[in-house]
Amino acid sequence: MNRSMAWTVTIVFGVLILIPSMLGFMMKFGELVELTKGVSDGGGFAITPVVNYLLASLGFFCLLLWAALNGMFRDLEQPKYLMLENERELDANV
Amino acid sequence: MFESKSGIFYIAGVGFFVLAFVSNALVPWLMYNNIPEQTVAELINPNLRYQFEDLARRYPESFNAAYGTPPGGEAEHDAWWNEKCEEALRVGHKLYVGEGCWHCHSQFIRPVSNEEERWGPVSRSAEYQNELQRPVLFGTRRVGPDLCREGGRRSNDWHAVHFFKPENLSVNSPMPEYPWFFDGSADKPTARGLAIITYVQWLGSWQESYPYYEAYVKSPLSVPEPEPAADAPAADATPAVEAAPAEEAAK
Amino acid sequence: MTTATIATDHKIAVHTELVDESIVKWYFYAALLFLTTSMLAGILVSLQLIQHNPFTGIEIFSPGRWRMVHTNAVAYGFLANGFLGCLHWAIPRLTLHPVLDKRLSWFIYAAWQFVVGATAVGILFGEAQGLEWGETPVWIDPLAQVGLLLVAINFMTPIARMKGPMYVSLWYFLAAFIWTFLTYAMGNFIPEYFVSGTSAGAVGGLFIHDLVGLFVTPLGWGLMYYFVPILIKKPIWSHGLSLVGFWGLAFFYPLQGIHHFLYTPIPMFLQYGAVVSTIAVELVVTTVIINFFGSIWGNWSIVRTNLPVRYFYTGMVFYFLTCLQCSFQVTLTFQKIIHFSDWVVGHAHMVMFGVFSMWIMGMMTYLFPRLLKREWASQNLIEWHYWLSTVGLAVMAADLILLGLFQGWSWAALEPWDASTDFSFPFWVLRTIAGLAMFGGLLALLTNIWKTVKLAPAKA
Repeated sequence: MNRSMAWTVTIVFGVLILIPSMLGFMMKFGELVELTKGVSDGGGFAITPVVNYLLASLGFFCLLLWAALNGMFRDLEQPKYLMLENERELDANV
Repeated sequence: MFESKSGIFYIAGVGFFVLAFVSNALVPWLMYNNIPEQTVAELINPNLRYQFEDLARRYPESFNAAYGTPPGGEAEHDAWWNEKCEEALRVGHKLYVGEGCWHCHSQFIRPVSNEEERWGPVSRSAEYQNELQRPVLFGTRRVGPDLCREGGRRSNDWHAVHFFKPENLSVNSPMPEYPWFFDGSADKPTARGLAIITYVQWLGSWQESYPYYEAYVKSPLSVPEPEPAADAPAADATPAVEAAPAEEAAK
Repeated sequence: MTTATIATDHKIAVHTELVDESIVKWYFYAALLFLTTSMLAGILVSLQLIQHNPFTGIEIFSPGRWRMVHTNAVAYGFLANGFLGCLHWAIPRLTLHPVLDKRLSWFIYAAWQFVVGATAVGILFGEAQGLEWGETPVWIDPLAQVGLLLVAINFMTPIARMKGPMYVSLWYFLAAFIWTFLTYAMGNFIPEYFVSGTSAGAVGGLFIHDLVGLFVTPLGWGLMYYFVPILIKKPIWSHGLSLVGFWGLAFFYPLQGIHHFLYTPIPMFLQYGAVVSTIAVELVVTTVIINFFGSIWGNWSIVRTNLPVRYFYTGMVFYFLTCLQCSFQVTLTFQKIIHFSDWVVGHAHMVMFGVFSMWIMGMMTYLFPRLLKREWASQNLIEWHYWLSTVGLAVMAADLILLGLFQGWSWAALEPWDASTDFSFPFWVLRTIAGLAMFGGLLALLTNIWKTVKLAPAKA
């Protein structure tokens, strides 16, 4: 399988999974907001963790993109060898 | 060029993260904006006033030493009691937190595991919307019983004796003794002793009913009371009724 | 990263210029001091539970207050000091850059000991605040917050100076510095000043949860990813998989906050969401565990011969057990029974002692000989330390978890309350004995350190 083929498969599956689940989530979240409107003694504070989670995840997603664009994941396995190499150097220099 | 594009993601990432933490404060605040937070003064109710005045009757010397004597005049008299009661509640709350009571006693009744049977009505959010629940004292562990429906269930001198030496009232109780709330003996509570009892009597005093609670055995030496039937209509038991036999015991 | 930068980095990479060994050592001494305090506090409380408190009726020895000293001294005194000491070793060596300023490090050191000491004193004089791990008296909170900011600045500078793809440990460290700062602010200011009632409960639950998950966990795993490869002299099995573990933690962890509010008025589908995501984290944990066991595969004899490695892998086994337990206990079925019971206490001990304390003990066992420039005075004593800690903890955790089930069932069956404290008695006695064994392990370590400092000849 060539590279573009792999990308196409990834994107198709991504869309297939993401769109229904996003829709489902948005509907359920809407229900929750409706539910808590006008209810003074309900479970309104449930919205807090959800909103926080969404914001924090969005933050992580941006950081993940930033790291990817900066080439942090280009040579995935290299840092583990470099780190051991550094250790050897440091202990040899004492 | 690539650098600047990715920089946006970096800044956005950190930004969202900070926003998440800001919203942690903002959303709950907005959520409960419509339920005003009650101040301590607003929390004083007739049940609590009854208990507080009962403390003054039972321990006149201790009470006078801690709070002085009430002034004459109907209105001033009432205001004075409320003011002192508020003071006792605040001090009592500080003691409850400072002594770590909330590490062994929860203040939250769940709708499962027959908790409603044992403790009373399930907890509601509005009950916690007051100054004395900042931070909230739900608790995470029950070595001893839940306390959020405790007020009025036992008399003031039961609490005094129990705080002084829990062993005297409940055999093998793992609860520590608190002699520093007293001036040498259980019938001489200090200002701190009066305050912590006031606080415990306040818990649940806003409830209209005091439902069935497991039979309380008065002392290890006395004949145990017959167990009341589980369906006994205990809802009409008022603090006054509860306190009466204990008053005799105090004599 | 190009080869040119590696070459220039190498020229300045001299251990003594990078690492301030004395601060590592003093962080460890402080950590051990607070661990001793905390364990004595724990023993006092456990003696109270079995009604054999030797100091009964003395205000300053009130078990309720010492209970708070116990948890705070472990989290802020032992774990934080131990981790900071290890970080002063690991970060400069990983990045090949020293920390921002060594004087700043010492200032942070002094300030942090003051914060933890003052917290303990404040609690003992009845000034605690009503939030677990947030009991820190009001006037210390801002100071601790500034301290955490300085820690972040001091350590993030060398990481920022480094070029090229980061090793997974540094990802964890970076995240931990930011998370800890924000989490501390969330727990120590919001429920005290801004919100009350149920929403404060939500924030408070999230705080306890995040303090473990976002301060202790990333630092612990970050250090494991550093110390395990250098001790077994093999790179980690898959660096890619380790990064999956890191980002998995980042994405799945926050949603779990709700699992502290099961059976509250929150709509059920959200509670189910929290349950599912907590179980999802279990999968993330499994990838991390697979990675470490993949690294050591075929080389198991090192666990027998190398004590630090044995500590690390024991901790990982407990970590896996804890997380497995967690994925059960977040379900509503389990919550009905185990909430408010000793099950939770057992769980907490398994995490804090069985995992993170074990790791710190392992790192100390490895680093003390290097810091003191001499071998351990007694191999026997370090073995005793390991076995007493491990067996003591295993017994305590099993005992409390089982007891928690019995308590939960007894309460649900509406037995008189006294029944639950009566049948807990033998379990609490066993717990005290297990705790004394763990304390005995600590005494073995302290004796060994003292002997090593005093008696053993300096390494040539």
